[in-house]
Amino acid sequence: KMAAAGGLRRAGWRLWRARRAVVRCQQYPPLRALQGSAALRAASDEHKKEPWASSSQQHFESPSPGHQPEEKPQGPHPSYTGQGGQQSEDYESEEQLQHRILTAALEFVPEHGWTAEAIAEGAKTLGLSVAAAGLFHSDGSELILHFVSDCNTKLSELLKKEQKLVQLGEAEKKPIDEFLRDAVEARLRMLIPYIEKWPQALSVLLLPRNIPSSLSLLTSMIDDIWHYAGDQSTDFNWYTRRAVLTAIYNTTELVMMQDSSPGFEDTWRFLENRVADAMAMSNTATQVQSTGEAVVQGLMGAAVTVSNAGTCRAVR
Amino acid sequence: VPGAGAALRPCSSRVAQDGINQPLIDRIIRVDHAGEYGANRIYAGQMAVLGRSSVGPVIQQMWNQEKNHLKKFNELMVAYRVRPTVLLPFWNVAGFVLGAGSALLGKKGAMACTVAVEESISEHYNNQIRTLIEEDPEKYKELLQVIKQFRDEEQEHHDIGLEHDAEATPAYSVLKTAIQLGCKAAIFLSERI
Repeated sequence: KMAAAGGLRRAGWRLWRARRAVVRCQQYPPLRALQGSAALRAASDEHKKEPWASSSQQHFESPSPGHQPEEKPQGPHPSYTGQGGQQSEDYESEEQLQHRILTAALEFVPEHGWTAEAIAEGAKTLGLSVAAAGLFHSDGSELILHFVSDCNTKLSELLKKEQKLVQLGEAEKKPIDEFLRDAVEARLRMLIPYIEKWPQALSVLLLPRNIPSSLSLLTSMIDDIWHYAGDQSTDFNWYTRRAVLTAIYNTTELVMMQDSSPGFEDTWRFLENRVADAMAMSNTATQVQSTGEAVVQGLMGAAVTVSNAGTCRAVR
Repeated sequence: VPGAGAALRPCSSRVAQDGINQPLIDRIIRVDHAGEYGANRIYAGQMAVLGRSSVGPVIQQMWNQEKNHLKKFNELMVAYRVRPTVLLPFWNVAGFVLGAGSALLGKKGAMACTVAVEESISEHYNNQIRTLIEEDPEKYKELLQVIKQFRDEEQEHHDIGLEHDAEATPAYSVLKTAIQLGCKAAIFLSERI
């Protein structure tokens, strides 16, 4: 019990220090910081008496990125560590703490949406004060970006695993259209638990402040899919392919928002048709090119013949 | 270095390969790939005009070496998952026009173009070698080896150009300066876009 209380107080302190650092860089009014830190310490004293909030996984079918709040979040985070790096063995960086809070908050998104309430609830399950939500923007930007980044990482791992199976000869190499279809479907299925609130998330991702991050996440996800699909283009095709797949992904995502068919079968059919369109388009492009080359060769041949005929006549 | 207390900045989900400086390698491979691609097109343009003249075989041989260079950079590009420059279609046309245009000025004109371009490229490769050695010569050993070898071959082309009376071209210094300015601009753009 004493260790737990000590842990909580340490967590509270870390949060307070993290909060102070954030204050230095963002324009949070100093008064709020003082109130926040006082509230944090008071609340963390309260919380140690409260029973730990049971993770309400019975209520939601959300697989909730598979983390227990205690576990360290997987996936890459910037190799940045908080101030005063070398300390006790369970010291975590500010970055890692934020990751943990956001991961815990995802559970509450279906109920509260992508909001500070969800983050506050998530912080509560970690035994932190609800004021921890103040670490983040009130529109839930960081929560959404964290979720997207998480999904992309899961997709990468899935594709890498499949690639390994193919390399070991335990699975067949899929044709490109099937591969793309499956990859996009797998990625979109990760939205299903949060589908009600996803339109809200999409609009937040389009805020000018978030566009660099959301665009970067989108492009790296599409690049990943093409990489595992075996794309090795080093010319302009590199761009064409990614542009086409991005369009397919975005339109399918929008269709999914409106889809009320059982198991989203309308969406998957839409996806199949779009991928087929893209394949047909690339075949047509190849055909047009070879026809064009044949035409040019024919014209050159005709020109040479005419000029030869001309010189023959001139010589005679 | 991210500032202390910076908010979460999720960007790419791609994990860095063994701690290499990915943005630096990206730039290096992208611009070198664009350079070799452009050089290929320049020689193609020169061959289109002077292919059947006495310098044809010389140009053909230099062109073959550039084709090898391009092949190597295509491999490196896939291995390091580097994005090619958007300007490739533009370099395609511009390179061919430069090659054909300089060849229309005669054999010496073509050689002058070769000298100018190869001098730019050698200097550019030397800068990259310096940068990589400053970063970490051990980590980038393979890449350094490739760039050093290519720099030596480009230097050879430069010398071949001089041997074939490049400097006797009318308005040689004007031509050379203009071409080198173009090369500098191409390098600047291809690193970034």
